[in-house]
Amino acid sequence: MRKADVITALIILIIGILVVYDGVRLGVIGWGAAGPMSGLYPFLLGMGLVIGSLVVMGRVFIISRKSMSNEPFIRKGGLRNVLYVAIPAALMVALTEFIGLYIAAGLYLALYMRWIGKHRWITVLAVSILLPLISSFVFDKYFLIPLPNGRLRGLLGF
Amino acid sequence: MESLNNLMMGFGVFFTQYNIFVAVIGIFLGTIVGVLPGLGGANGVAILIPVTFIMPPTSAIILLACIYWGALFGGVITSILFNIPGEPWSVATCFDGYPMAKKGKAPQALTAAFSSHFIGAVFATVALTFLAPLIAEIALRFGPPETFSIMMLTFSAFVALGGKSPIKTLIAIFLGFTMAAVGIDIVSGKLRLTFGTTELMGGFHFIVAVIGLFGIGEILLTVEEGLKMKSLPVRMSLRAMLETWKELPRYWKTLLRGALIGCWMGFKPGGATPASFMSYGFAKQFSKNSEKFGTGIMEGVVAPEVAAHAAGVSAMVPMITLGIPGSPTAAVMLGGLMIWGLQPGPMLFKEHPEFVWGLIASIWASNAIGVIIVLAFVPLFAAILKAPFSVLMPSIVFICAIGAYAVNIRMIDIWYMIIFGFVGYTFKKLDYPIAPMVLALVLGDMAETAMRQALIMGQGSPLIFFRPPFALPIMILAIIIFFWPTISRWKQKTVKKECKI
Repeated sequence: MRKADVITALIILIIGILVVYDGVRLGVIGWGAAGPMSGLYPFLLGMGLVIGSLVVMGRVFIISRKSMSNEPFIRKGGLRNVLYVAIPAALMVALTEFIGLYIAAGLYLALYMRWIGKHRWITVLAVSILLPLISSFVFDKYFLIPLPNGRLRGLLGF
Repeated sequence: MESLNNLMMGFGVFFTQYNIFVAVIGIFLGTIVGVLPGLGGANGVAILIPVTFIMPPTSAIILLACIYWGALFGGVITSILFNIPGEPWSVATCFDGYPMAKKGKAPQALTAAFSSHFIGAVFATVALTFLAPLIAEIALRFGPPETFSIMMLTFSAFVALGGKSPIKTLIAIFLGFTMAAVGIDIVSGKLRLTFGTTELMGGFHFIVAVIGLFGIGEILLTVEEGLKMKSLPVRMSLRAMLETWKELPRYWKTLLRGALIGCWMGFKPGGATPASFMSYGFAKQFSKNSEKFGTGIMEGVVAPEVAAHAAGVSAMVPMITLGIPGSPTAAVMLGGLMIWGLQPGPMLFKEHPEFVWGLIASIWASNAIGVIIVLAFVPLFAAILKAPFSVLMPSIVFICAIGAYAVNIRMIDIWYMIIFGFVGYTFKKLDYPIAPMVLALVLGDMAETAMRQALIMGQGSPLIFFRPPFALPIMILAIIIFFWPTISRWKQKTVKKECKI
């Protein structure tokens, strides 16, 4: 838990430094044509992040050495479960760029249900075909929200 | 009296076939969303915002509000039948709701909870009906310094009330504001925080953040725990309902107290959760059979539920009158308002009375409709959770992806959603609160504009934020609330020392 706490605070610190840096680039002190310089606001926010993350790290190292829990950030079996969800989901998004959300989602549903859920093929096929189909009708046709079709549609020419 | 007339007009607006239809759909969807893991109120509302683009604004807000009520109802079902609090403010409901269901009294527990919801909603709506116009009237005199001070008050309430670590709450707020600032500087038109990339020019949309943080993050947490959904049997019968309704008036004191606590706490951001716990605690303290609390008695279900729902409704008051939402879900609705081209805040009452009063009337009507619907269909909603998780989970991810993409029709948003999912997962584990971050992201532009305009008014002097008559007391209150955790800790220490002496 402590390691995760420090790493997260470090990432926030880096973001804070980047924000402060950009604020300084835009100018912090001074008075422009439209009031305060445009870097002031980001600068203040970045400083908040920098100070805050330093305090969090400081607390981990100095004060709460004893009081902090030593339980791991994630249990062993838990990590596997999380990755089982996260990796296929990321794959789905990556695939969406090429073959569109509907087909990618269908594959993702089928993969997860068959691989993790061990469902029968009939259930797998029914859900992974019907759900994207229904949503395409609801969103594309009824609410007129075009969902990502990827480059496949362009290649097939429709 | 004027309020009553306006309310009547609101009912006129609400009672059209289309709006009632929208309300019923909203309650249905909302309850499903509330029952499913990873799809809470804020998230459900966020996913459906793109759908509302083709509706008139009044129907759109009715849909979103009904999803919110439905989600509150759905949270009750999971906490009583599954012992899984869908939302943090349902935690207190599990204390007595689940034991009651275990004793075979699930129908009674559900009826009591839903009815308390309705009572809480009625109380809060009365407050909304009469208080909101007054607050709006005062708020009409607010300038940028006052708006800024109200925001300060909102966020200091978060620091004091929410989360275990005030410094982490502060970081979450700053992160939210920073994300809102990415893109184009609204005053000078310069690019900022984009670091030369075109991807960052569009900034982060709060809907994408909400879907990722609440939706994907919640799913990751759920799968890590490897939750098995196990429902207790439920058979609704009219007799059980009537029995419960006969018993309910006995708890009028608990109901009244809970509703008042809810109205008061819901006003402040993040108030629903402490309100439900406070109401439960008070009920336990003042009840004749306080030792029975936690073993499955109706009073223990009624107390947190009435407060939670009253708080949920009264969170709408600051949203409509000041443009400051009291809960993440209200924040998402507020974002919707802006997308539909309405400026939230006091002018709403003047410029779009039909919208405001239609919404208020819809709260009365839709909560009544909602109680009937959920009571009638509880077994159906419970059955949804019985569907295998390996089917539900990928479907929810898919729906979240649609929602994230549909806001801006941008592919990058789906990636952001996944990233926000991991951020939400990590933050939940490390006690960084997510709600204030979302609120900051929604209010970012408003806060910045208010701050910069105020500084221009004060010619650079920050003293403008403390100008009387309104900004000064609000700022002082904000500062007191901000330091309240420190003050109370210090007080405790001194009291302890005195005791030793």
